[in-house]
Amino acid sequence: MPEPAVILAAEALRKSFLAAGGSRPVIDGLGFAQRSGEFLAIVGPSGCGKTTLLRLLAGLAMPDGGRVLHQSAAASGPAAWISVVFQDYHRSLFPWLTVARNVGFGLRRLERNEQGRRIAAALGAVGLDGFADHYPWQLSGGMQQRVALARAIACRPALLMLDEPFASVDAQTRLNLQDLLMRIWSELRISALLVTHDIDEAVLMADRVLVLTARPARLAAEIEVDLPRPREQLATREHPRFLALRHRIFDLVRGAVGGGQSDRAEAGPGPAQNFNREGESDER
Amino acid sequence: MTRPAGFRVLRRHAAGAGLMLALAVAWEVAAASLQIRSLPPVENVARALWRILSGPDLGEHVLPSLARAVAGFLIGTHLGALAGLAIGVIRGVEPWLRPLLEFGRSLPAPAVLPAALLVLGPTPAMRVTLIAVGCAFPVILNAIDGARRVDPLMLDTARSFSLRPAEVLRRVILPAALPQILAGARTAVSIALIMMVISELIAATSGVGVLLFQSQRLFRAADTYAVVLLLGLIGWLLAQLFVRLERQAIGWQAGWRGAADA
Repeated sequence: MPEPAVILAAEALRKSFLAAGGSRPVIDGLGFAQRSGEFLAIVGPSGCGKTTLLRLLAGLAMPDGGRVLHQSAAASGPAAWISVVFQDYHRSLFPWLTVARNVGFGLRRLERNEQGRRIAAALGAVGLDGFADHYPWQLSGGMQQRVALARAIACRPALLMLDEPFASVDAQTRLNLQDLLMRIWSELRISALLVTHDIDEAVLMADRVLVLTARPARLAAEIEVDLPRPREQLATREHPRFLALRHRIFDLVRGAVGGGQSDRAEAGPGPAQNFNREGESDER
Repeated sequence: MTRPAGFRVLRRHAAGAGLMLALAVAWEVAAASLQIRSLPPVENVARALWRILSGPDLGEHVLPSLARAVAGFLIGTHLGALAGLAIGVIRGVEPWLRPLLEFGRSLPAPAVLPAALLVLGPTPAMRVTLIAVGCAFPVILNAIDGARRVDPLMLDTARSFSLRPAEVLRRVILPAALPQILAGARTAVSIALIMMVISELIAATSGVGVLLFQSQRLFRAADTYAVVLLLGLIGWLLAQLFVRLERQAIGWQAGWRGAADA
């Protein structure tokens, strides 16, 4: 049996940011490969540089060392076949465009009729038919994130990258969006890369989970999620294997935080600040 | 819901109109009792205004002035927006230009008139240029700021769709900065009128400014007041027009802001 093709890979990735007192490494020698069609999740303690990692992988930022491979070619910028869904839909959707025009944002090179068809199909897929002429800010948070998802899949990407996509919505909406994402992933037969700090979410959806260490981020472990599909909110979460996997990853993330303790003690801030998103706000 | 709201609007307008009417009456009483040359009765002023608007003055003075003001405004605001966006987007340019811009902004416009006259002569082009320069400054400064303040996540989003820099500018930075650009342009509306009158102070043969100073020199007080009234009316009309246009262009902003605060 031939190995499935690698759609995305990182080799010895390094990235630092300038901070008071010199440059601070955020990612230090990270490497992995994602198989085509795979649902890959990356989890790590909050503030460990997940957003930075995603920007590197998407070609939105360049690494200081190592390289990102897009379908085995070195990435030099964003790829047309990769779509990104960001956490903060309020800042990622364009408020001056209607829902339909937001969804059609990446389709400008297509013919008008085709654009209309793709927009309608994408809105249908996320259950937002009838909202085409609304503005995003007229919708609830969950619906706005559906718009962002529709915009991402309207381009028919081969790889969908998601940065904490459900972190800003309420718990009930999060479950619905998780189901929606799994359905879209399996129906479109695409690859998905989910960056999250929610361990349950990663185990529920992914084929494989990469666990990162605390800042600077390195690969702490790779866990295959051998749960049957289709995955379901109740059945899967009650599966003994689910519980075992989440336990293991929980320990790894905890261990990653513990391992980074000495670094952070030097950095200064008290323990309460170690878990907020301070590290991710100064990345841009 | 609509009736009480409509009633409230009506009442507010009535209050404003009432005060203006009261002032007109006070003027009329003062004019009748004082009987001085510099304070003509209201009806004479109204008649003079009507004479300007219905006679040859309209085509000879008012419309050419307005055309220059509008041309200067359009040229100045557009070039200002373009320059401001460019300065805001291209890194490292601003420190070079900032002192020049601050200096230019603080220069009183009437002081520039004689120099402009020296360089360009007493031509319509000189007057339009003067208006355009005056209108450009508030727009440039706001456009720089607007381009700077575009949310980096929006830029990331745009770039993730493989947009070229020129497309990012047109499809994301321009619409995102438009509210601030238009706020600058709103200031430019009144600047355009000010510069229009000032540009007609020296060596002019046509224009509202000419009308204004001629009537004053000839001691035709009613005409002088009529022109002042006319300038006020033009300013008010242009401001109304601009608010309409603004609502069309950036109506989304109010809703977006409201949603963010909620």
